[in-house]
Amino acid sequence: MTVRGVLKTLSPLFACIGLLCVWQIASLRLDTESSPTALEAIKAIPSILGDKGSLLNILDSIRRMAIGLVLAVMFAIPLGLLMGRIKAVAAFFNPLMMIIYPVPKAALMPIIMLWMGVGDVSKILVIFLGVSLPIIYHAFQGSKAVEEKMLWSGAAMGMSAPMRMLRIVLPAALPEILTGCRTGLVLALITMITSEMIARQSGAGNILFNSLDMAQYDTVFAMILIIGAMGIVFDAAFEKLRLSLVRWSQPRDDMPLSFT
Amino acid sequence: MQVVSLRSDAHTDAEPVSGRKSSGVDSAAAMIEIDHVSQRFQTSGKQSHLALSDINLTIEDGAFVSILGPSGCGKSTLLYIVGGFVQPTDGVAKVKGKAITGPGPDRGPVFQEFALFPWKNVLGNVMYGLRQQGVKRAEAEARGRKLLEMVGLKGYENFYPKELSGGMKQRVAIARTLAYDPAVLLMDEPFGALDAHTRTRLQNDLLDIWDRQRKTVLFVTHSVEEAVYLSDKVIVMSRSPGSIKQIVDIDLPRPRKRADLLLDARFQKYIVDIEKMIDDGGKDHL
Amino acid sequence: MTQTRINSVLLGITPIVLFIALWQSLISFGFAPTSLLPPPGAVFGKLAKDFFNGDFLHDIAATLIRLFAGFGIAVVVGVFIGLAAAVSPAINAVVKPLVRVLAPIPKIALYPALLLILGFDHASKITLVTADALFPILLSTYYGASMVEQKLIWSAMAAGTPRWQILFKVVLPAAMPSILTGCRIGLVISCIVVFLAEMITSTDGLGHMLVQAARTFQTVDMFVPLIMISMLGLILNSLLHWLRSYLLRGFPEV
Ligand SMILES: Nc1ncnc2c1ncn2[C@@H]1O[C@H](COP(=O)(O)OP(=O)(O)OP(=O)(O)O)[C@@H](O)[C@H]1O
Ligand SMILES: [Mg+2]
Repeated sequence: MTVRGVLKTLSPLFACIGLLCVWQIASLRLDTESSPTALEAIKAIPSILGDKGSLLNILDSIRRMAIGLVLAVMFAIPLGLLMGRIKAVAAFFNPLMMIIYPVPKAALMPIIMLWMGVGDVSKILVIFLGVSLPIIYHAFQGSKAVEEKMLWSGAAMGMSAPMRMLRIVLPAALPEILTGCRTGLVLALITMITSEMIARQSGAGNILFNSLDMAQYDTVFAMILIIGAMGIVFDAAFEKLRLSLVRWSQPRDDMPLSFT
Repeated sequence: MQVVSLRSDAHTDAEPVSGRKSSGVDSAAAMIEIDHVSQRFQTSGKQSHLALSDINLTIEDGAFVSILGPSGCGKSTLLYIVGGFVQPTDGVAKVKGKAITGPGPDRGPVFQEFALFPWKNVLGNVMYGLRQQGVKRAEAEARGRKLLEMVGLKGYENFYPKELSGGMKQRVAIARTLAYDPAVLLMDEPFGALDAHTRTRLQNDLLDIWDRQRKTVLFVTHSVEEAVYLSDKVIVMSRSPGSIKQIVDIDLPRPRKRADLLLDARFQKYIVDIEKMIDDGGKDHL
Repeated sequence: MTQTRINSVLLGITPIVLFIALWQSLISFGFAPTSLLPPPGAVFGKLAKDFFNGDFLHDIAATLIRLFAGFGIAVVVGVFIGLAAAVSPAINAVVKPLVRVLAPIPKIALYPALLLILGFDHASKITLVTADALFPILLSTYYGASMVEQKLIWSAMAAGTPRWQILFKVVLPAAMPSILTGCRIGLVISCIVVFLAEMITSTDGLGHMLVQAARTFQTVDMFVPLIMISMLGLILNSLLHWLRSYLLRGFPEV
C-alpha cells in the first residue's frame, strides 16, 4: 500500500485523536469541575468496564439490542419487499408509516412499561419498533427500483411469483436493504440508550444518567466515550460485512448515514 | 481562401480530395491556433495515456470546421482544450492570438447531452448568459425571446427542459450559447442523440444561422455526410495516440441544399474518400 | 386515474381506521382497563380541549422553537459543509474522517455532556437536535454536489460565470433534489430528538408533558403529546413536500 493509502485508511483514527485533543485543550481552558479532561475520562473507562455489575449491565443492553434488531430485520425486509412490488400493499401501509414515523419510539417506553412492566420484553419491543421503520423504508425503496424487465425475463423463464421475489427482487434490492440495516443498527443502539435513559432501571443509558445525578462527571464522560465507541465499532464492522456481500454494487456510502 | 493550415506530420500525406494546398499561416485572420498541443491523462495505477499527440492547427475566423475520427481519438478532448475546460499537458492553444487559460464567453460550447439547467425554464436558460454579461433583465428577456423565435421555439418560453423533446432541447442549448454571442461555437456531437429527421432539420437551421452570423464553428461528429455537408474543412483524426491524419477542404458552393448535394457527384466523392481515409486506419473503427 | 387515486386513499385509511377500531374494541370488550388504555374518544376529546389550554399551547411552542432552531442550524451548517467538502479537496480531507467518526455515534449519549456544558435550558436541546439532524443533511448535500454533471458547470463557466459564483449558481441548485431528501430525513429526526430530550430533562414541551403524565398515571394525558408530535411531523413533512415540489418543478421525477 502506498503512503497515501495508509494515511487514508488511518484518517478516521487521526480524526479521533484530533477530537480528543480539542476536548483536552477546551476542558483545560474551561477548567470547571463538571467538564473533565479527555485524559481523565479515558482513565475512568477501566473502572467502569472492570466493575462486574456495570459490565454485565452493558452486555445485557447489547443482548437486548441484538434480539430487537434481528426480529426487526426478519419482519421488516419481507414487508418492505412486498410493499415495493405490490401497489395495494404499499397503499395500505404507507399512510400508517407516515403517522408512526415522527413518533419517537423510545417515548412509548412509559406506556409500554405500564402494560408490560420494566422487563426485557418492553425494552426489546421498543427497539424492534424503532428499528423496523427505516428497514421497511429502505427495503421498500430498493424493491420498488427493481427493473421491471428483469422480472419479465424471470417470468418468461417460468419462475413463480414467490421465486421471483426471492431470486430477483431480494438480491437486486440487497444494497439498499443493507443500507437500511446499517441505519437500523445505529438506530437500535440509540433506541436502547434512550429507552434506558427514560426507564432508568438498568443498562448503559441508566449508568450514564445515574452518574450524572451523582455528579460523577468522569464516569459521565467515560460512558459517553464507551457508547460512542460502540457506535463507531458496530458501524465499521457492519460496513465490512456489507461490502463483502455487495461487492458488485457501487460503494455509494463511503460516509455512514445515521439517524434516530 | 485559406481556412485551415496544417503543420504536423500529417501534412506530408497526400490530400487526395482537396484542390488547394495548405501553406503558411495567415495569422491576421486566425481565430484559433493550436500549437504543439499534447494531452496526457493519468489512468488508474501509474500508467498514463496519451490522448492527443503534438496537434498543430490553425482555424480562420468565420470557418466551419468539422472533426472526424474513431471513438476515443481525442476529438472531445481537443474541443475541451479550445473551450478552456481542460488544460493541455503540453503546447498552447490560442484564441484571437491570446493563450487560452480558461473558459470564456468568446467560446460557446454545445454538448451532445444538452446540459441545460433543469431548474430554469427555457427562457431562463437562454437568458442566463446574457444576465451573466450584465445585460438588464428586461433587455435580456426581449433578446431571449427573439433567439427562441429564431430557433423555432416561440411559445415554449415557460416550459422546463424535461417537458421538451430531444431536438427541442438541443435548440434551446444552441440558443443559450448563441445568446452571449461567442465568436467561436464548439459543438461536440450536438446532433448525435437525435433521430435522422430532426437531425437534418437542425443541420439546416445551423447552416442558416451560420450564414447570417458567420461565427467560427468547430464541429465534432461521427457522421461523414454531416461533416461534408456542413463544413469548409474536415479534419480526420486517427487514434493511439490521437493525431491529425489529414485535412480535407470541402470545395462545394454555398448556400448548400441537401437535396441537390445528395445527387452531386463531388459531394458523393468527398464522402467516399473520407470514409476510406478513416477505414485505412485498419484497426480503427468509427 | 382519479378512481385509482380514491381507491388507494381509501386503502391507506383502512389500517388507521382498523387500528382505532381495535383500540376501542379492546376497551369495549373489557380486555384492557381504562386506567391502562384510555378509549380513543377520550384521548381525541382531551386533545381538542387542550387546544384552548394555555399551558398546552406553551408546551407546543417550546417544542417547536427548539425543533426549528435546531433543524434550521443543521440545514445551514450541513449544506455549507457538504458543499465545501464536495468542492475543495483540502476541506474534504478533513471533513470525511471527522464525519466517519462522528456520524455513527449515538448523539443522544452526548446529551448529558451538553447539559453540563450548556445548561438545562433551550441551548442544550437545540444543540442536540442540530447534532442529530446535521449528518443526513451534510451527507446528502455532499453526494448531490459531487454528482453534479460536469457539463452543467462548463456551460455556466463558458457563459461567463466567475468560478466562485459557480457554487451558488450551478452546484447548489443542481444538488437541490439530494439536499431536500436529506432535509426530509433530518426533519423527522429533529421531531424525534426534541421530544426525547424533553422527556429526559425539561420543564416544558411535549416530551415533558408525557413524562409528567406518566408520573401521575394520567394515561389520557400520556397519549395526547404522542398524537401531537405525530401530527406536527405530518404537517411539517407536507410543508416540506410542498416546498420540494415547488423548488424542483423543473427536475425530472425520480
Ligand atoms: N478525464 C480523463 N481521464 C482519463 N482519460 C481520459 C479522460 N478524458 C478522456 N480520456 C481518454 O482520452 C481519450 C480521448 O477521449 P475523447 O473523449 O476525447 O475521445 P473522443 O474522440 O471524443 O471519443 P468519442 O467519439 O467516443 O466521443 C480516450 O482514450 C479516453 O479514454
Ligand atoms: Mg467525444
